[in-house]
Amino acid sequence: MTEQKQRRAVDNPPVGINDAVHSPDGAAVRLTGIHKSFGKVQAVRGVDLQISPGEVVAFLGPNGAGKSTTIDVLLGLIRPDSGTASLFGTSPLQAVQAGRVGAMLQGGGLLPEVAVGELISMFAALHRSPMPVAEAMDRAGITDIAKQRTSKLSGGQAQRVRYALALVPDPDLLVLDEPTVAMDVEVRRSFWASMRDFTGSGRTVLFATHYLDEADAFADRVVVLADGTIIADGTGAQIKASVAGRTISAVIPGARPDDLSRLQGVVAVEQEAGRMLLRCNDSDAALRALLQTAPATHDIEITAGNLEDAFLELTAANRQESHR
Amino acid sequence: MSTLTSRAPGTVGMTARYALMSTRNVYRNVRFLVLTVALPLLLFLLYVNLYKGEDTGNGISVVAYLMVSMASFGCIGAAINTGARIAVERQTGWNRQLRLTALPARGYLVAKAVVSMLVTLPALVLVFIAGATVGDVSLSAAGWLTTGLAVWLGLIPFAVLGLVIGFAGTVDTVQPISMITYLGLSILGGLWFPVEQFPAFLQDVAKVTPSYWLADLGRSVLVGDGVPITAVLVLAAWTVVLGLVGIMAYRRSGTKI
Repeated sequence: MTEQKQRRAVDNPPVGINDAVHSPDGAAVRLTGIHKSFGKVQAVRGVDLQISPGEVVAFLGPNGAGKSTTIDVLLGLIRPDSGTASLFGTSPLQAVQAGRVGAMLQGGGLLPEVAVGELISMFAALHRSPMPVAEAMDRAGITDIAKQRTSKLSGGQAQRVRYALALVPDPDLLVLDEPTVAMDVEVRRSFWASMRDFTGSGRTVLFATHYLDEADAFADRVVVLADGTIIADGTGAQIKASVAGRTISAVIPGARPDDLSRLQGVVAVEQEAGRMLLRCNDSDAALRALLQTAPATHDIEITAGNLEDAFLELTAANRQESHR
Repeated sequence: MSTLTSRAPGTVGMTARYALMSTRNVYRNVRFLVLTVALPLLLFLLYVNLYKGEDTGNGISVVAYLMVSMASFGCIGAAINTGARIAVERQTGWNRQLRLTALPARGYLVAKAVVSMLVTLPALVLVFIAGATVGDVSLSAAGWLTTGLAVWLGLIPFAVLGLVIGFAGTVDTVQPISMITYLGLSILGGLWFPVEQFPAFLQDVAKVTPSYWLADLGRSVLVGDGVPITAVLVLAAWTVVLGLVGIMAYRRSGTKI
């Protein structure tokens, strides 16, 4: 079983010959037209996603964007209302039972009343070719708390135990749902270092986060999810460029915000104390267009946008559009 | 693809392993075990004091009759309460994590039923020991073994019932649900008071309960009358019906809360 698992260097092309053998359609993850509602709430509204083996992908989006639901669908934990999910060309259930998938679930519970070491051993006993328990614990940095009861762990410790559980299958695909929640800065750093080390051997990783900097720093590719649909998909740099543009601030005599928002490169317009704030995804183009249409513009300032604010803005813009 | 075809062997072994690990966890919870065993055992000892030496007139001593009743009572409680603990595993999300293992769903369900069956043993064994020692119930070794086995196997529908409650209930509701089911079935099935003392309509109700037939099965084997077919059929029917309800509850519990 172990020899059948894929191990490739990260810098190899995403789809190799070997992959074709082990995943007939060449994709580690393939979601097609996923829809899922809970009662009246449409959590996921048509997600299509393909991840190639070896990719490290961040799932970025605010709370309630549908990240966890999408992850539950791709792990086979919930059935979508429509659409299909496949992992390595098989059903999620088959991939899970073959030990190709490890996952850290959001708020995933730990069995109460047992020691951490026992919990990991127990979990490993339910896999066909698990990673040695000691190795999983070492990689997750929980060797020193092996004797501690699961009910007595801090939030960060519990997260690391969940990470160890995700490593236990020695998976080809690692799915992490908001892995760094409840971790302090120090722990967060060592977590990502450990994750990097693990994925260096060519495994596929999908992690959900609502931190743009985390997505940018650790993923090859960032998929932005808002209101249950994918609104952007690209490298961290591309997402930053489209999400987090610059702001032009200027006094523009006689200009109406509506007209300004139609200028090339402008995403949104605000008025503030006699000045116009033009949020741009291409500030160069926007400035050229602005000076052409309103030559009287003066007191121009251009500032780099705050990533988080811009990101929130983008998702908010998407929301407005979808309600139109 | 050979990874997938080679997954059939090992499922049984994995199920057994999971059942044993879970049983060990329950057995470690001493408070739970004591609570399961204490009430039936104390009640039985009280009855021994009251009725020792008396005869029911049906070829069985009052103490032997009550021994089967109290063993059944204790075992039903252990089976139902153990299954109901699944609701806690579901609430914490541990259940979801388990779905990400090679243990298939049916293996999980079978293992949980096995755990419930194994957790009934202390109540069964202790009440029988009390019967043999304090209660002066005398049976041959084979008699003890077959009676114990009859009661134990008759608990299968109750183990399944525990699973149903564990999957249908939530952490807040399982306690009252399992308590009402446990006491309701025990009283209605005539484990506390003989069914013959019930009003006529309740006697009819009693004869539909699995608990009535569990005790009937145990007593029949104890006095050497063999295995009563009616009891076996009723208990089997309960197992099938509860099993179907259980599968439905399990499927429903898979969709998020």
